[in-house]
Amino acid sequence: MLQMMKRASIALVGSLAIAGTCMAETRLQGAGATFPNPIYQKWVIEYQKANPEVKIDYQSIGSGGGIKGITEHTVDFAGSDAPMNKKEIAAAKDEVVHIPTVAGAVVAAYNLPGFNGELKLTGPLVVDIFSGKITKWNDAKIAEANAGASLPDMDITVAYRTDGSGTTFVFSSYLATQSEDFKSTIGASKQVKWPVGQGGKGNEGVTAIVQAFPGAVGYIEVNYALANKIPYALLKNKAGKFIKAGPDSVSAAGSGAVDQMKESLAVNIWDQTSEAAYPISAFTYIIVYKDLAYLKSPEKATALVKFLKWSVTGDGQALATSMDYAPLADGVKAKAGAAIDALTFGGKPLK
Amino acid sequence: MSQMTPNPSPPEETLPAVTFDFTSQRAGISGDTLLRLVTQGSACTILLMLAALLIVLTHAAMPTIRSFGLKFLTGTEWRSNALEQPRRGPDGKLVFDADGEQIVDTIEPVFGALPVIWGTAMTSVIALTFAIPLSFGTALFLIRIAPRVTVGPVSFMVEFLAAIPSIAYGIWGLFVFGPFMQKYLEPWLNGVFDTVPGLGFMHFSGMATGRDMLCGGLLLGIMIIPIITAISRDVLNGVPRAQIEGTTALGATWWQSSKEMLKYSRSGLFGAVMLGLARAAGETMAITMVIGNNNQISPSPFAPAQSMASLLANEFAEASGDLQRSALIEVALILLVMSLIFNVIARKLVVGKGARTSAAH
Repeated sequence: MLQMMKRASIALVGSLAIAGTCMAETRLQGAGATFPNPIYQKWVIEYQKANPEVKIDYQSIGSGGGIKGITEHTVDFAGSDAPMNKKEIAAAKDEVVHIPTVAGAVVAAYNLPGFNGELKLTGPLVVDIFSGKITKWNDAKIAEANAGASLPDMDITVAYRTDGSGTTFVFSSYLATQSEDFKSTIGASKQVKWPVGQGGKGNEGVTAIVQAFPGAVGYIEVNYALANKIPYALLKNKAGKFIKAGPDSVSAAGSGAVDQMKESLAVNIWDQTSEAAYPISAFTYIIVYKDLAYLKSPEKATALVKFLKWSVTGDGQALATSMDYAPLADGVKAKAGAAIDALTFGGKPLK
Repeated sequence: MSQMTPNPSPPEETLPAVTFDFTSQRAGISGDTLLRLVTQGSACTILLMLAALLIVLTHAAMPTIRSFGLKFLTGTEWRSNALEQPRRGPDGKLVFDADGEQIVDTIEPVFGALPVIWGTAMTSVIALTFAIPLSFGTALFLIRIAPRVTVGPVSFMVEFLAAIPSIAYGIWGLFVFGPFMQKYLEPWLNGVFDTVPGLGFMHFSGMATGRDMLCGGLLLGIMIIPIITAISRDVLNGVPRAQIEGTTALGATWWQSSKEMLKYSRSGLFGAVMLGLARAAGETMAITMVIGNNNQISPSPFAPAQSMASLLANEFAEASGDLQRSALIEVALILLVMSLIFNVIARKLVVGKGARTSAAH
């Protein structure tokens, strides 16, 4: 056995050495959003297995950092949960392209000891809870949405993100669609001033608060709720159905937005009309310049395009579901594929 | 900490003459000159670094200094996002322009540092209230009561508190101390505030969460005990033997002579407190985990708040927009200047005058 392992490792080292010397390595540097980091790392590992000549590095430094990096050409591609806003697009050196990679959901995760049912909430209820207008779990309005369930007489502790984040952007943008008052007093942004509650840094900070406080409710990415086994609320969508966040319901939200995808693929997929759609869904994007000449070498540009194709329209998508991300719906995949094909190098199409 | 030890014996007035023969020195720069240049250079570099820090921070904070001025210190709202509010006429109705489009006013982001100044001040006061009696008590114990064999271990344990990384304090605060506060201490204290007349303003109406100014303050208190204890022990050690014997000779009880000791070294003790305060105000990692991170001003110690340091830890990495970055840098600048002032005062009191001022009376 030991002998075998030894031989295998020699063979491995040998082949690596050959790979290292014979093939020129192409290095791609990406940075940005933390939310898709687990799936991006998985993609990088799997893609490099099949294409050892390409070395890809993605650093999860936050969406803001990614956008800064691509604007200043310090990274080859950026990851961001929130699309670049008008100001950021104006600051960029050239035309940028947003390519949706996977979709995710933001959920209202809660900690209600003794409550074993599934909590149901509506958009306006979430607005009232997070703006401090509803302070008790047995409030009549919450009871109305949860007919038959008995909710405890307990204070609500709201938990929110204190750092700027795509999660907050998606969550507050959805709430802004539910209440004019929320939109004009708290607003939709990567970082907003919540009137009540406890702040945590990062998804993990909010998760820790929700776990620690009986009666707490906080907004986090669905992956964190699943990984930490925290229950999260079903949310009433535009069609009037209570929907649980999951790969299917998030993909459904994405497919509902295909028609809005015209020049830019950066479209909002929260509050979709489709019956199966989970309302607080959003794409996460990889952002590159339309003309890849900034990568300096055509080899690098080709490698980036191949990696994007593999991730967004190829085998990469199959890995998404296993990691609790929602894969792109077919219509979205087609649009994203077309956008990747339209990337150029020095004005000329690649391939 | 040990570098803070004041010199217990005043320097000798006359030093014995030291003579060396350097005539064998080869031509060129002498060793003396070289050493002087090197040491002068090192000292200047450190001063330059501090100056550079101040200049760079001030420069980077210019956008907010220019747009908010002194209002930055008194403003109570910290909102990094712009708001869009539909314009309403005096009658409360929405206003539309000529094309029938609703007119929307954009309310620009505002940055007011008062909530974080408040959070820093409150937690520091709580920390000092908790740490001063414990530290002075420990110091007196070590000097006057403790048998020789216990002095070493107790001093070591107290100083060991300083060696614990602040993230470890934070995790302990988040998962052990906070929940304890929430379950036992805070509901009881809240009841006290509720029933004792005059304390009602500190009553907290919601559920006490254990992640608030009180929890943060007490945690900071534990963290600054070592520095205050170590310095006050050294300061008390510096009280001349004759002084103590004198009080005893006059018939003072143990307590009375201890009181005299404290009085005698009060400026040194005050310096120790100032250094503790500087540490409390600047502590970041642990406080971020237990203060609740809410930019609000509340008189209740059970309300979640935000300190200057925790604000920076929370917001700096993902700060969006130049104005927010500049506002955060201005907060850092205020913190730096504050710590500088505390340290300067402390050093003057502990090292400069120390026991000697009191010796004059």
